[in-house]
Amino acid sequence: MIETIRIGRLLRETVTLPYSCLVTRPTGAAVRGRIEAALAHSTCHTAWLDFSDVELLDLSCADEVVAKLLLAEPVTSPPFLVLRGLREEQHEAIEHVLTHHRLAVTATLYGAEAPCLLGWASADARAAFDTLIEQDGASPAELAAALGWSEGRAREALQALVAHRLLRSDGVRYRPLRTA
Amino acid sequence: MSRVVEVPAQLDDRSFDQFAAGFGSWPPEEKLLIDARAAQWASPYGLIGMLTAGQALAEAKRDKPLFTVPQNDEVKRYWARAGFFHHAAELFELHGKVPRPPATGPSDVLLDVTPVRATEDVHEVVGKISEGATRILHGELGLELKATLRFTMALSEACQNIVEHAGTSGWVAVQAYTFRRRLGRRVVVIAVSDGGVGFRRSLESTHAKRFGERWGDGTALEAALIQGVSRFRDPGRGQGLAFIKRFLDQWKGKISIRSGTARLTIIPPWDEDVPLSEHLPYFPGAQVQIIIPAQEAESR
Repeated sequence: MIETIRIGRLLRETVTLPYSCLVTRPTGAAVRGRIEAALAHSTCHTAWLDFSDVELLDLSCADEVVAKLLLAEPVTSPPFLVLRGLREEQHEAIEHVLTHHRLAVTATLYGAEAPCLLGWASADARAAFDTLIEQDGASPAELAAALGWSEGRAREALQALVAHRLLRSDGVRYRPLRTA
Repeated sequence: MSRVVEVPAQLDDRSFDQFAAGFGSWPPEEKLLIDARAAQWASPYGLIGMLTAGQALAEAKRDKPLFTVPQNDEVKRYWARAGFFHHAAELFELHGKVPRPPATGPSDVLLDVTPVRATEDVHEVVGKISEGATRILHGELGLELKATLRFTMALSEACQNIVEHAGTSGWVAVQAYTFRRRLGRRVVVIAVSDGGVGFRRSLESTHAKRFGERWGDGTALEAALIQGVSRFRDPGRGQGLAFIKRFLDQWKGKISIRSGTARLTIIPPWDEDVPLSEHLPYFPGAQVQIIIPAQEAESR
């Protein structure tokens, strides 16, 4: 099951002022608290955090909302997270803070369908992510064949992506998260 | 005994040191007269710098300073339209006729002089700036449309530094004007100022030790702007200024921060400023100026 959390709506519920700009650390922390509460009551396996109705996201909020959500101590079976509807400058702000923390998340840009890896990852992990998106999943052997790598190298890249919670795996095949 | 602090005829980030020197040791013991009669022009940095002086004196529990307004009617009108006198009236005993501000400010004032006291004020500033920023940045300066949002992000981060670090309130103003002397092009200037603890004191407890005897206003500014350090242990902190600096690199913009007795500047190709000035006359808190120039035709 997938649950969509509209960040703009949470923002409007959080601040009493009529603004659609997600700015300042206290505001970001309050919105993150609401996301965490929503996730705690959800049984979804993937949560889409939809930023499409957020006009502006500053760096402080990118850190408070996204980075700290990913850094939080994991609860039992936390859902996979996908950021959706990001505009270019929001993408840029989130990329900046995630790279700083060496974190990564799956995201889609506003109006785009293809997911991307947002944040910090090794070159191998990025190449593996992109190939998995193209092939809609692969085993380590299939990935190794597609990229001309050894199976061990492919497995290592896939495990790095699993550690970042960017892929799902049944132990045999690795699949990207659903973004549409 | 009273001390007269002369406002330079052209009050901007460069002549600000002359203004700061007028106060002598801080906080001055004598009753002050801020003399702006001969003022011909003040940048947003200059306007909010004067308010910062008034605020810092009030917080130091000094007598309310006297302030003689500019003699030039046009200058007075402009300062009134930018919102200066509205706030100055609370901090100074104004002498001279002050024109009534019109309902709307001049079109090149993107954000009139605005106090920043709390998080809500940052929301207010960001909300106010959006429409005018697009008109000026895209329409006049030739920056790409998405630059408007980056500009607003930079403004938000600069204002948050007051709320998070200054330990007191501050001021912000944003204005567009033609930078004849140094550039010969239109620019947008963000000025942010507070009379708070300043960078050195803000970072002292967490970072002074590793700098040893080199620790001072200049090293504190370098640590914050170049190395991205913050007084908070939270590893996510300290990125705001680094992000602003990155945007400014793209736009050939300039940022300078003055705090205490030092000023650190990231210098674009069009300017010939000094990267780090130390041993300047002391002025309380921190004063930030961000300049974004009109893009040259070939880079548009």
